[in-house]
Amino acid sequence: MENIVLSIDGQKVSCPPGTSVLEAAEQHGIKIPKLCYHPDLKPYGACRLCLVEDEKTGRLMASCVTPAASNMVIRTATPRIINHRRNIARLMIAEHPESCVVCSKGNHCQLRLIASQLGIGETKLHPMPNYKTLEQANPFIIRDLSKCILCGKCIRADHELVFVGAIDYNRRGFRSRPATVHDQALEKSNCTVCGTCLSMCPTGALSPKNRTYVGSPARESIAICGFCGVGCSLAMGAAGEKIVEVKPAQRPDSVNRATLCVRGHFAHDFLNVSNRLVSPLVRPNGNRRPAQLVPASWDEALEVIAKRLADIKSVNGPQSIAFLGSSKCTNEENYLLQKFARALIGTNSVDNGGYIFGQSRLRSFDERTAGGGRVNPLRGLERAEAIVVLGADPGHSLPVVGYYLKRAAGQGIPLVLVNPRRTELVNSAALWLRLQPQTDLELLNGLTALLHTKEGYDSGFIDRYTEGFSIFRYSLSALDLERVCRVTDIDRRQLDAAADLLHGKKIAFVVGQGILQQKGGQHSLNALLNLALMTGSLGKEGTGLYMLAKENNQAGALDMGAAPDRFPGRQSLKDDRVRKQWEQAWKVKLSPDQGLNLARMIMEAEKGNLKALYVMGENPLRALPATERVQKALQKLDFLVVQDILECETTRMADVVLPGAAFCEKDGSFTNLEGRIQSFSTVVPPPGHAKPDWEILDRLMAKMKNGCGYGSLEKIRAEIRQRVPMYAELDGRRQGWLRATSSKVIFGADGADGLISFSPMVSVDEPVKDEDYPFTAIFGSMRYHLGSGTRTGASRRIQELELSSEIEISPQDAAGLNFKEGEAVNVISRHGAVGAKVRLKTGILPGQIFAPLAVRGNTAMNLIGLSDLAPADSPGWKTCQVTLKPA
Amino acid sequence: MNPLEIDWNRLNAIIAKHRGEKWGLIPLLQDIQETIGFIPPESMEPIAHALNLHPSQVQGVVTFYAGFSLKPKGKWVLRACRGTACHVKGSRGILRLMKKELGLEEGETSPDYQFTLETVACLGACFLAPTMMVNRDYFGKLNPTKVTSILAQYGKEKGDE
Repeated sequence: MENIVLSIDGQKVSCPPGTSVLEAAEQHGIKIPKLCYHPDLKPYGACRLCLVEDEKTGRLMASCVTPAASNMVIRTATPRIINHRRNIARLMIAEHPESCVVCSKGNHCQLRLIASQLGIGETKLHPMPNYKTLEQANPFIIRDLSKCILCGKCIRADHELVFVGAIDYNRRGFRSRPATVHDQALEKSNCTVCGTCLSMCPTGALSPKNRTYVGSPARESIAICGFCGVGCSLAMGAAGEKIVEVKPAQRPDSVNRATLCVRGHFAHDFLNVSNRLVSPLVRPNGNRRPAQLVPASWDEALEVIAKRLADIKSVNGPQSIAFLGSSKCTNEENYLLQKFARALIGTNSVDNGGYIFGQSRLRSFDERTAGGGRVNPLRGLERAEAIVVLGADPGHSLPVVGYYLKRAAGQGIPLVLVNPRRTELVNSAALWLRLQPQTDLELLNGLTALLHTKEGYDSGFIDRYTEGFSIFRYSLSALDLERVCRVTDIDRRQLDAAADLLHGKKIAFVVGQGILQQKGGQHSLNALLNLALMTGSLGKEGTGLYMLAKENNQAGALDMGAAPDRFPGRQSLKDDRVRKQWEQAWKVKLSPDQGLNLARMIMEAEKGNLKALYVMGENPLRALPATERVQKALQKLDFLVVQDILECETTRMADVVLPGAAFCEKDGSFTNLEGRIQSFSTVVPPPGHAKPDWEILDRLMAKMKNGCGYGSLEKIRAEIRQRVPMYAELDGRRQGWLRATSSKVIFGADGADGLISFSPMVSVDEPVKDEDYPFTAIFGSMRYHLGSGTRTGASRRIQELELSSEIEISPQDAAGLNFKEGEAVNVISRHGAVGAKVRLKTGILPGQIFAPLAVRGNTAMNLIGLSDLAPADSPGWKTCQVTLKPA
Repeated sequence: MNPLEIDWNRLNAIIAKHRGEKWGLIPLLQDIQETIGFIPPESMEPIAHALNLHPSQVQGVVTFYAGFSLKPKGKWVLRACRGTACHVKGSRGILRLMKKELGLEEGETSPDYQFTLETVACLGACFLAPTMMVNRDYFGKLNPTKVTSILAQYGKEKGDE
């Protein structure tokens, strides 16, 4: 359609049809005051401050809700308009408490700004303050509704962006205010405390609860959130050398725009806690336990590490040393750490915390797609034809992904949810397949076979880009659908309904930890890729596999080679050509043999084969199952170095502790789950003598090889850019994307030089009932904590919630066992026992319980045995059989 | 004052009747208001669920309209008109009398859930001023005697049950 041409303040302005007068004016640099308008929300026309005048008719119109029409002649600042605006603002202020001086919104208050721009001091109106109760019981948000101007931004953000529906307008006229159901306090309602309302509020009606700082921060800088794999852009407010406030950066090109979650918004107060590590610590007397850890200088500490590692290497060989990289540290740091291990020590025993979330299971997927298919922008979900969500509860684990999914479903995109538990997504789903835990593989096989029978496949795509379909379709027609329904406990009609919903559509698959951590996770991934290939759901916006990375740089750490079986760029150790390249680059001989992964490191330490472990930014003692076993294994080590930001369970066992820097205290880059490489710079300096982790590694490596280090981040980045083509865009720009390095996954018009093959169909065994441990415990996350909760658990705001270990159980089971809500019980598995309180939940099926991780020292993990996740027959870490006994 | 027993069977039947209905919220609420006499606050969640809305949205509509009430009302809702014409014709005295006779303040409901006393801004029947309504019946050209006899009329019916 043709652009519309109109005149605004004498300026000829052209805009596409559907643009509002306000947007047209703003796009051309004409400023119009407004309070209720936000670019991410539907226009509302509540505040009336954006009044403009149509010169031809003399009508006054709210420009945010007036579509631009051709030949309009608009004036935005005539004396008449200004007079009206002044009166509107005066009326707002007459109802507003006179507390600007002590209001914590301070310089961020838009009402105050507009009042001053319009030259309003005293209103000369009879003040009619609207006293409402002040609500500040929860640790996150203070609600002072006497300052509310009813712009509706909080309500609209709640309904349009995060889809929670915790608040809406209540009553009317003078008494109208946003309220929760039954006018409860926020923490008692279904509010998820994402704080999006807070960052939208133009006045002091909503403000963050801050115990340590009053007022607006002295300066604000952009950073990337260090919690989950979404990689939200943050505006971090600092005062002095401390972060005092965090808000969404509201950049249009960011993944989160105006939204955030409770962790990103409120849990960053962990940065200022007293147990931050501020100085290197060593154990005197030849560095042996049980001597106390005492502060030391950097030189001293690094000297000890260099000497001890060299000694251990010469006595026990390089294979007796292992390195644990971090899914929270930057790309550059993980690159350095794996280079340290491979080039300097000569071991492939390097892994990262992503192992815990089933990262090693991605291998066969990566091999089949040649490391491609990784760029999946989340905004594509809102343009998808159909979405299937498997093994994920993004409302808790990655809330911002949850918002995308709910928005997509809200637009009418069919969403098929595959989950044994009722999650927040159920209300948005077109269909909920409530399968038995760990049977996703069978369901996927069934769904693929049904779609095949119903001819819901893309033969063009299959012919052009894939191989092996003829054999694969043979196994599809041989599949016993009755068995599928029996094993998964899904009704045949439901399966048909799912196939009908997905028939002929290109599908976006959202894959969570439930798949990656479960038994046979790699088979499920292969089955998913088969389904994606058959339906041609790859290579287009809004299609493909969205792998939900639990931690901020889980994807990047693996890309950088912090894995026992891959070089940087997810290249195989076994590939001779690749290995030669790296040997030339680093001028060393490299082994093609796979090193130890995280679980095997612990097992080898137990046996006494592993002598030294270097841990960067991970807390394995809390994050891994079988705490006691891990503790004993770590005690057996001759030498343990821990480089971290917080004093934690693992640092207390270390022989040398090195204080690193949190994400906002250093420069670096993270790669998020979309494949977006985001570089960031320092917001505040690290506390005390702490240093950026890359600097620590650089200095240590220089010391060990008696040479000089990189000295600057740019030099590390240059090496990565040169050696890892996937990261060609890691050049310090704020955002770049992973490059596809194989034409296999580009799906161009002229085909590809390699075809993606269908993998053979695998089935799961029919589950056998476990008489001794009749309940299936499903482990999962809750929104207040991330991972094992080391950082979120240190946040004072999260601590104030006083979350206790709880298990969710169906009311039927509770009645059968005679348990009451809140009763203390013992949960016992073959591997351990933990105490917890019972919570009755209708969203749980009888025979299942849900145990949230990360609370109270992450004890629930102790129910799972420590097994290696990498082999296909591993029992997985997602579920385990338990029994319940009264405490 | 004992809380009123809610007839959940009737309530659920009404909700079921409107389930999934587009623009069905207000007709549903009217139905409940008419049948049950008020909108039980606990019913907002099931209503929202049936219409795929957020419970807060249901509450927003309920609290916006004067025609919906979250509190139980009496069997007879008496509305005294406090419009200008009625005021001139002495509605203040009428209201005072009603308060005294019923022992209720404005907006209150008797403990036996027989009477609720309310005021309205105008009943639109100024030619009959001063006026009042009992449920859907109008009474005009009121004087104290007439008010007492109207109240007695409803009071008598109450005695019959």
